[in-house]
Amino acid sequence: MTDATTPVTPRSKKSVSLTSPDARTQKRKAAEARFRMYGIAGIATGIFCLIVLLTSILASGTGAFQQTFISVQVYLDPAKLDKKGNRDPADIAKVSTFGYTPLIQQAVFDAVQQAGIETPLTRSKDMKALISASAAAQVRDVVIADPTLIGETIGFRILASSRVDGYLKDRVMREDVARDKNIDAEHLDLVDALVPLGIVEKTFNMDFITGADASESRAEAAGIGVAMMGSFFMMLVVLVLSLPIGVAASIYLEEFAPKNRWTDLIEVNIANLAAVPSIVFGILGLAVFIQFMHLPQSAPLVGGLVLTLMTLPTIIISTRASLKAVPPSIRDAALGVGASKMQAVFHHVLPLAAPGILTGTIIGLAQALGETAPLLLIGMVGFIASNAPDGIASGLLDPNSAMPAQIYEWAKRADPAFYERAWGGIIILLVFLISMNTLAVILRRRFERRW
Amino acid sequence: MPLLWLLLLILALSVAGFVLGRGRALASAGGDSRLLHSLPVYYGSNAFMKSVVPASGLLILWMLVQPLVLENRISGMIPQSEIAEGSSMGLVMSEVRRTAEGLDNAVAAGAMRAEDAFSPTADTAGITQALKDAGQVVTSEISPAMLRAAQAYRQMSASSGLLMSIAVLVVAAAGAAWGIRESGRDFRARNVVEQGILAILIAAASVAILTTIGIILSLIFNTVEFFRLYPAADFFTLLEWAPSFSGRGGASSLGILPLLWGTIYISIVALLVAVPIGLFSAIYLSEYASARVRGIAKPLLEILAGIPTIVYGLFALLTIGPMLVSVFGNEGLGWMGGGRSVMTAGIAMGIMLIPFVSSLSDDIINAVPQSLRDGSYGLGATRSETIRQVVLPAALPGIVGAILLAASRAIGETMIVVLGAGAAARLSLNPFEAMTTVTAKIVSQLTGDSDFASPEALVAFALGITLFVLTLGLNVFALYIVRKYREQYE
Amino acid sequence: MNDMRILERAVDTNEVKIAAKGVQVYYGDTHAIKDVNVDIQDRTVTAFIGPSGCGKSTFLRCINRMNDTIDIARVEGDIRIDGEDIYDKRVDPVQLRAKVGMVFQKPNPFPKSIYDNVSYGPRIHGLAKNKAELDDIVEQSLRSAALWDEVKDRLNAPGTGLSGGQQQRLCIARAVATEPEVLLMDEPCSALDPIATAQVEELIDELRQNYSVVIVTHSMQQAARVSQRTAFFHLGNLVEYGETGQIFTNPEDPRTESYITGRIG
Repeated sequence: MTDATTPVTPRSKKSVSLTSPDARTQKRKAAEARFRMYGIAGIATGIFCLIVLLTSILASGTGAFQQTFISVQVYLDPAKLDKKGNRDPADIAKVSTFGYTPLIQQAVFDAVQQAGIETPLTRSKDMKALISASAAAQVRDVVIADPTLIGETIGFRILASSRVDGYLKDRVMREDVARDKNIDAEHLDLVDALVPLGIVEKTFNMDFITGADASESRAEAAGIGVAMMGSFFMMLVVLVLSLPIGVAASIYLEEFAPKNRWTDLIEVNIANLAAVPSIVFGILGLAVFIQFMHLPQSAPLVGGLVLTLMTLPTIIISTRASLKAVPPSIRDAALGVGASKMQAVFHHVLPLAAPGILTGTIIGLAQALGETAPLLLIGMVGFIASNAPDGIASGLLDPNSAMPAQIYEWAKRADPAFYERAWGGIIILLVFLISMNTLAVILRRRFERRW
Repeated sequence: MPLLWLLLLILALSVAGFVLGRGRALASAGGDSRLLHSLPVYYGSNAFMKSVVPASGLLILWMLVQPLVLENRISGMIPQSEIAEGSSMGLVMSEVRRTAEGLDNAVAAGAMRAEDAFSPTADTAGITQALKDAGQVVTSEISPAMLRAAQAYRQMSASSGLLMSIAVLVVAAAGAAWGIRESGRDFRARNVVEQGILAILIAAASVAILTTIGIILSLIFNTVEFFRLYPAADFFTLLEWAPSFSGRGGASSLGILPLLWGTIYISIVALLVAVPIGLFSAIYLSEYASARVRGIAKPLLEILAGIPTIVYGLFALLTIGPMLVSVFGNEGLGWMGGGRSVMTAGIAMGIMLIPFVSSLSDDIINAVPQSLRDGSYGLGATRSETIRQVVLPAALPGIVGAILLAASRAIGETMIVVLGAGAAARLSLNPFEAMTTVTAKIVSQLTGDSDFASPEALVAFALGITLFVLTLGLNVFALYIVRKYREQYE
Repeated sequence: MNDMRILERAVDTNEVKIAAKGVQVYYGDTHAIKDVNVDIQDRTVTAFIGPSGCGKSTFLRCINRMNDTIDIARVEGDIRIDGEDIYDKRVDPVQLRAKVGMVFQKPNPFPKSIYDNVSYGPRIHGLAKNKAELDDIVEQSLRSAALWDEVKDRLNAPGTGLSGGQQQRLCIARAVATEPEVLLMDEPCSALDPIATAQVEELIDELRQNYSVVIVTHSMQQAARVSQRTAFFHLGNLVEYGETGQIFTNPEDPRTESYITGRIG
């Protein structure tokens, strides 16, 4: 400590007052305030993005839950629907929807006439632009179900065309119809006149939630119900497979695995699988389940298998965390009364970790529910899933879509009327995700145990 | 025998094994379970396990191997001349399978007589017609060789199915018998059952390894197939991506570079959005915010992470795109042709990554020991000086790791680019132009109508392996950095 | 313990540097410091002693407002340095801490080079006009922390690579480099071995020439060795404050006596 002997002389000692900051301190304070502002700006931007995202979802999507209907009295003309006059169901079934279309157009035209609305549209055919193409099928289904109705005049609530629907929802503007070959300004005038009469009205649309997808030209009839069933069956597969496999794998890794290379390999594997892009799992599904094992394309079973492989790492990671949170003293206590290690784990550790495992599983399921990319590769888009499955086997094996895949399908279509459906589908998807996450949070709050 | 029945039979045999095994063990102890080595239920479980596990293992193995063996045998029956120009063995085989299935269905539905359908001399034109009438999907004309192959196929698969049922049931019964025989008072049933459970646990843990192996194998096999049809050098060096969909005539240019460029460009835009916002949010949340602000802002930001990517895709396509067009489009600055562009996808992806960057950085900043901050405050440093000169340099490796993880996410992201980035592969610097990415092309090459064995479809696997290697490399590296960083302060 | 030396030690000055009146500290609902009044003199080593949890460190952290960085801490009362109320609204804690340096219990060098560690304070406070001056400050500070000879050849080596005692002296050099008027030391030797402790104690005695040093310590021997004045804290109260010799040889309060003789602690 030779240097300590050097007398330490205080350098330029300027005793500053604490209450009056000097110029430099003020500059530093300004820098401090600026830096703090950056932080606030960062958070504000993030939250602003969230708000923009949520408002654009709500603003664009709520329209899908409402639909425009036309209430008309349709005269089921026997001359058109049952030419032979024998009410034979087989003959009646042979009349295609083309046979029904004129009747409906006539019915709408009559309604216009009765209401005494002045319109330059003088032929019943001119009503075509107002009516959805699926209206004929709707009427036909009723007639085939009960052929005795033929000859009577029945009240129907038929779907209006997507242009009329869009006009009432401010999607189709008067300026645009000049270029639109599907509808003219006169039709819009007519709609304006029919709305106060209650003949054309916009009401809640249950069919969007329960119905099936429709072809490109019938945006007004498309629903997400069947895709929801597809998602449901996929989640069933994911739950049934990933929960037991995930829990078993976690128990092994956390409680039994010896510290060796094999265990290390598994651990590294799981960590990395969690970060593999989801599209790669789609490639795996395509190559292994469809190409190699010849499982049916577009089947929720295959989708479920792929999503299982994808969610397994998530579930394993969260399950291991819950197992780790159970204190060793519990295991020691069980072993101390002569239980085998297996008994200690299954009788004591696992039940205590169950709420945590459940929470992790729900969050994993929510993740899987929103996943789209792998579903594209195993063919769960690009066709119209028109029939709801009628049993577990058909639910698992018949081609179907899934909610996110259906949304993607709608987003790809040319008609902007489908965009509204896509946003509406997102609202439904988010409602599911929010409910699942809320459930997870509640479970955690309610059952979480702090040791 | 239908699979369901087979499974039920196996189950029945095993349950019988359970009951008998348990009974035999109890009997050996004269009904006094205290004299047994293990609880009676373990003896039953032992027999159950020995019956179910080998039987279902055999079943699964058989079902995996059977198609391979059959295919091998059948493909020998099909002359090379049957394989049409541009077609492949795989396609012909699926044709054979479909025909065989059609025959079975038609006979089952009563549309055809079994003698006709399965006679070796059947007239092919007649059969084709009959199948079509029965509503079965078949090709325009079934050739005689095909019909033979199809008949042989259904013959073999039927006999193989029968053989399988018998073998599986014999194994199940033998296993049950073995388990029952063992059940005696001194048999250590619990230990054996626990060994079995442990084996099941190990098998479950190995699913992760199997998944990785499955990914690697399916990528490698198909990529090798692709490189057989298309030169690897071209794939890695060509500056053009122009698959020909018309078929075999026009040669496709399948260069990965434009796709990689699009991927990287979009990822860079995404990181330019996400890193500053995420990092400053993390700094504010961990260093400035009160517990209350933190309790509100952090979960709000994390909602962004829970939103599915399809939502961001739609947001890019329908909200961000039109918004950008109104500013940079032809009516504004004129830089942007359509709503889909690098910026559109990049911004949406950036928003998606904000919570990812912020929560990872938050963890990492929190791991910097408080004593370093105290040391700096004690010297009269302001908070921002402390953060910039002490906390951030100390946290830098961890933050770099977090950014790399975010980059890997961006590179692998699919839905946002499929909807927001466009379909044209382009090597351009203009961020307002539409470009495409590796992931978007994987989707389009595998969902189009192109034939699965063509280079245009197989290229998706080569793209997939590139993507896999790229993201895996980034991840391993990033996790390594983050772990090193954590160890430093533990 | 050399009692003779304690008795002989004179207090150099009677100039009051820090005056605390009616100081109360709350951590959430806990009342950590109860009505403490103390005058700390310039160019003196003042030791705070007492059993752990008695509030001595908490009180020390009030003097440079380090408690501000803890959300739940609340300080009441009046602490003046050179007659200025440091809890006045106009006072910038940053400026205060430049004037009142602090050395912590555990050596906490920044993960930077030795040079950067020492020059950090002068840099942020703008004490040097150029590199040469900065070099000079670094050298002087390291010398006054008795570390110069050991590190002068490796100023660019990371500060975290030094031994524990060297790290603590580096932290002292770092504190000295900002030219504080008061130096607070929170159990600076508790993480050090006896040899390093001796070095640091010797250093504290040197520093007394220029600074008012306040040291919190667990060890009564250390307080007796280095300080001129001693304050004994117990359960948040300042029990007794006076000249070190007197506190250790002739305490007035029975609690002080019990502590010194080892009956509470």
